[in-house]
Amino acid sequence: MNLFRRPEAPDVTAVIVDDHPVVVAGVRAWCALADPPIRVVAAGPTVAVAWTDPGAQADVVVLDLQLDATGPAFGDLKRLVDAGRQVVVYTMRADRETALTALDIGAFTFLTKAEGEDHLIAAIQAAAASAPYVPPTLSGAFGTDERSHRPRLSPREQQVLIEWFHSESKEMVARRLTITVHRVNSCLERVRIKYANVGREAPTKAALVARALQDGLITTDDL
Amino acid sequence: MEQRLLQQGLIYALGLRIVVIGLSSSVSLALAPMPDRAIAALVIAAFTAWSVLYAVLMVRTRSKALPVADVAAVCAICLTQIWTVTPDPRAGATWVLIAINMVVITYPWQLGRPALAGATLTIIAVYYVGATIADPGGWLVDKTLGPWTAAEAALSWGLYRFVRRGARTSDRIIARAAELRRAAEIAGARRAGEREYLAALHDTAAATLLMVGSGIVAGREPWLSAQARRDLQEIHRSEDAAQGATDLIPLLREAAGHTQVRVSWRTPEVLVLPSADAVSLSRGVREALTNVARHAGTDRAEIRVRADGALVTVEIADEGRGFQINSINPQRYGVTRSLIERMTRIGGRARIDSTPGHGTTVTLTAGHDTPAEDSGDREVIATSFQRGLRWAVIVMSLAILTLLDLPRMLASRASYEQFWPQLVTWSGLVAVVLVVAAATWRDRPLGRWRTPLIVLVFALAALATWSVRPEYLLGPAHWSEGDAGWPLVLLMMGARVPVFAVVLLAQYLMTFGQAALAWDAALSVAGAISATWAVLTYQLAIAMIAAVLRGMAASSARALHAAERERTAEAVDRHLHEDRTGRLAALAATAVPLLEGLASGGLDPGDESVRSACEAEAARMRRLMAEDTGLFFHELRACVEEAERNGVAVSFTEFGTFPALTPPVRRRLIEPAIAALATAQGRARLSVTGTRETVTVSVVAACLQPPPAPDRDGVRRSTVADGDRFWIQATWQGDQ
Repeated sequence: MNLFRRPEAPDVTAVIVDDHPVVVAGVRAWCALADPPIRVVAAGPTVAVAWTDPGAQADVVVLDLQLDATGPAFGDLKRLVDAGRQVVVYTMRADRETALTALDIGAFTFLTKAEGEDHLIAAIQAAAASAPYVPPTLSGAFGTDERSHRPRLSPREQQVLIEWFHSESKEMVARRLTITVHRVNSCLERVRIKYANVGREAPTKAALVARALQDGLITTDDL
Repeated sequence: MEQRLLQQGLIYALGLRIVVIGLSSSVSLALAPMPDRAIAALVIAAFTAWSVLYAVLMVRTRSKALPVADVAAVCAICLTQIWTVTPDPRAGATWVLIAINMVVITYPWQLGRPALAGATLTIIAVYYVGATIADPGGWLVDKTLGPWTAAEAALSWGLYRFVRRGARTSDRIIARAAELRRAAEIAGARRAGEREYLAALHDTAAATLLMVGSGIVAGREPWLSAQARRDLQEIHRSEDAAQGATDLIPLLREAAGHTQVRVSWRTPEVLVLPSADAVSLSRGVREALTNVARHAGTDRAEIRVRADGALVTVEIADEGRGFQINSINPQRYGVTRSLIERMTRIGGRARIDSTPGHGTTVTLTAGHDTPAEDSGDREVIATSFQRGLRWAVIVMSLAILTLLDLPRMLASRASYEQFWPQLVTWSGLVAVVLVVAAATWRDRPLGRWRTPLIVLVFALAALATWSVRPEYLLGPAHWSEGDAGWPLVLLMMGARVPVFAVVLLAQYLMTFGQAALAWDAALSVAGAISATWAVLTYQLAIAMIAAVLRGMAASSARALHAAERERTAEAVDRHLHEDRTGRLAALAATAVPLLEGLASGGLDPGDESVRSACEAEAARMRRLMAEDTGLFFHELRACVEEAERNGVAVSFTEFGTFPALTPPVRRRLIEPAIAALATAQGRARLSVTGTRETVTVSVVAACLQPPPAPDRDGVRRSTVADGDRFWIQATWQGDQ
C-alpha cells in the first residue's frame, strides 16, 4: 500500500486510543517495524488522548470502539470525524451493523483486531494518504449490506467484496474470478468511494472523493 | 374496531330504513288504492324527508332527543292510516306495517335496551289505535302482528349485541397481540443488551490472547501479567453476568469515570440487577454526565440510586444553569431523546426536570415485572363470531316457523288445494334448520351437503306454492313465500354477499313465477313487492352482518397468528440466548488457565506453544461471540470444536441474513467445510455469508485436497489452491 504515499511525504504519525495495554503494545511494535516507520505520538485509554497534544497533531487516530462496558463509542467517533480527523476504527467487534455504522459516521476504515497483524499498518498509511482501504471484514459487511440506502454496486464489485471477505487473499480472489489483482484492488476502492459518496457529509468523504478523482479511480461522471 | 363497526352499522341501518320504507311507500302510492291519495302523498313525502333528516342528524350528533322525535313521527304515520291505507284482505302488508317493522328492526343500532323496549311497545300500541280508527272492521288488525313486531325487535337487538360482542372480542385479541409484541421487543432488547455486555467482558481477555498469539510480546512482562489479572476479574464478572445479574454500582462508577464531572454518590453498597437493566442505566448515566459537562456550566453532579422493590431509580442532579424544557427543541438537548429511547427499549423510563438557573435532574427508572403469559386467548377462536351469528339465525328461523308460520298454516287450511304438501314443506324446512343446528353444534362445516340441502329448500318451496289455491297465492296463507328464505340464509351464511343475494332472489323469483303462471294472486302487485322487500332486506342485512363479521374474524385471526409467531420467535430467541450465555460461561474454563499462567508468569508469552495456544483460544472466543444465527451453524459447531481440540485456530466470521434452507441444501453447503476442517492444520478460516438469494460457506485451510463433488440442489462447489492451502467454497443460489 506504500504506493499511495507520495515520496516527499513526511513520516506518518498516529495516536492510539485503546484501553487495553497489550493491544497498545502490539500496535506500537507493528508501527515501529513498518516501512517507512509510523510514529506513534501518543496512546491512552480514553479519547482525550487524541484531543490533546501531542495526540491532537497525529495524522491518523486508531480508535477502539469498545472503551468500556457501556457500548460502542460512536459519539466519540463522530466528534473526531467532524473535527476532520482520519479515524481507523480498530475493534474486537466484528458485526456488520457496527462496521456499517462506523463507516456511515465517517470512519476512514473499519478493522477488527483479528485483522490487525495483516492490515493495520497498511490501513494507517492509506488513511494518512486519504486512499481507500477495505479490509476483509469491512468487505463482508459491504457485500452483505441490504439496507435501503446502500450504494448501487456492479455484480463484479459485489462478487469481489464477498470473495475477498471469504479468502483474505487478493491473489486467490483474482484466480477464482480470473481477473487481475489490480482489478480486484480497483473494485474494492471503487466500492469504498461509492460508500463515501452516499455517506454523511464529513471531511473523510471529501478527502476520499477528492483523492479518488485525482488518482483517476473515478471520474466526475461517476458522482 | 368496535367504534368503527358501530358507526358503520348505524349508517347501514339508517340507510336500509330509508331505502326500504321509501321504496315500499312509493310503490304503494303509485299502485295501491288509497282513501286520499293527496294526503297520503303528503304523509309519505314528509316521513321520507324526516327519515333522511333523522339519519343525517343521528350520524352527526347522536342526540338523545332525536329518537323521541322519531318515535313521534312513526306514531304520526300510524295514526294517519285512515287516509293512507285502504283496508284490503288481499293487500298483505301495508306500507305502514313495513315501515314500523323496519323502524323497529333498525332501532337496536340507535337505542339502548330500555329505550328500545319503550319505543317498540309505544309504536305497536299506536299502530293498533291507528289501524282501528282506519278500519273498525279489523282487516288491518292482525293479531299476530304485535308479538311478531316485538319479537323482531328482540331478535334484531340480539344480532346487534352479537356483532358488538364480536367486535369487542376482536379488539381485545388485537390489543393482546400488540401487547405481546411489545413484551417480546422488550425481552429481545434486554437480551441484546446482556449479550453485548457479556461480549464486552470477554473482549478484553480475547484481545490479550490475540495479541500474545500474534507474537508481539517477546517474554514475560509485568504489564502483561497485570492485564491478565484484570482479564481474569472480568471473566469472573462475566460469570455473574451469564446468570443474568450484575452489580449496578461499580458499572455506574466506571461510567462516571469516563467523564470530567466530579460526582458525589448516594448509593447502596451493592445493588444487583438484571444485567441488561444495569448496563442501560450505566449508559444513561454516562450520557447524562456528558451532558452536564457540556451544557450545565458546572463540573459537579450528584448521583442518587434508590431501589424500591423491583424498581430501581437513578437520579443525576446538577446545580448548573438548567434550561427551559418547553422553550427549546428537546432534540437540541441531545440527552433527551436518546435517553428516553434507550430506557423505553428495556421497558423503563427517563424523565428530565430542569428550571433555568436551578439545575437539571435526570431520573432514570428500570426494572419491571415480566408480562404474564397469555391467558386463554387462544380459546377465542376467530370463527366463533360466525358460529354465534349462525345460532342467532337458527333460533330466529325456528321462532318464525313455529310461532308465526305454523299458526297461520293451521288457520288457513281452506286456502290450500291439499294440506299435506304444506305439512311436508313446513316439516322439511324445520328439518333443514335442525340439520344446520346439528352441524353448528358439532362445529362441522356442511361441506358437500350444502348444495343438496339448498335444492331441497327450493323443491319444498315449489311444492308448498303449488298446493296454495291461486286466489290465496302470495297472501298470509302462503307463508312459505318469504319464510323459505330463512333456511336459505342459514345455508348460504358462509358465501359472499352477491352469491348470497342471487340464491335468495332466485327463490323469490321462482315463487313469483309460479304465482304468475297460476294467473291469479291473493296480493296486489304493490303489496307483494312491499311484503317481499321487507323480508328480503332483513335477510340480506344478515348476509351483510355475516360479511362484516367475517372481516372481523379474519383480522382477529391475523392478530392471533401474529401473536403466535411472536411467541415462537421469542422462544427461539430465548433458547439461543441461553445457549450462548451457557457456552460463553463454559469458555472461561479454557481461557482461565492460560490467563492465570500469563498473570503469574508461569507461562512465557515468547514460547511458541504458549503463543499458538493463545491464538487458538482467542479464535475460539471470537467465534463464540460471532455466532449469532446458531440455528444454521450448530451443525458446524461440533466439527469446529473438534478441529480446535487438534490445535487448529479456527477463525470464524459470518455476515448477512440467512434464508430458510432445506436439509439437503444445508448438508451440501456444510459438507465441504466439515471435510476440510477434519484434516486442517495450523490456522483455518471459516466464513459464511448470506443474502436473500445466496448463502456461501467457505474454508481456507492447509488440509487434504477435497475430492471433486458434483453440483446439486442448487449448491455449487469450487476449490482454489494456493501452495498447501486450499480455499474451498460451497455456494447456494436460490431460484432467481
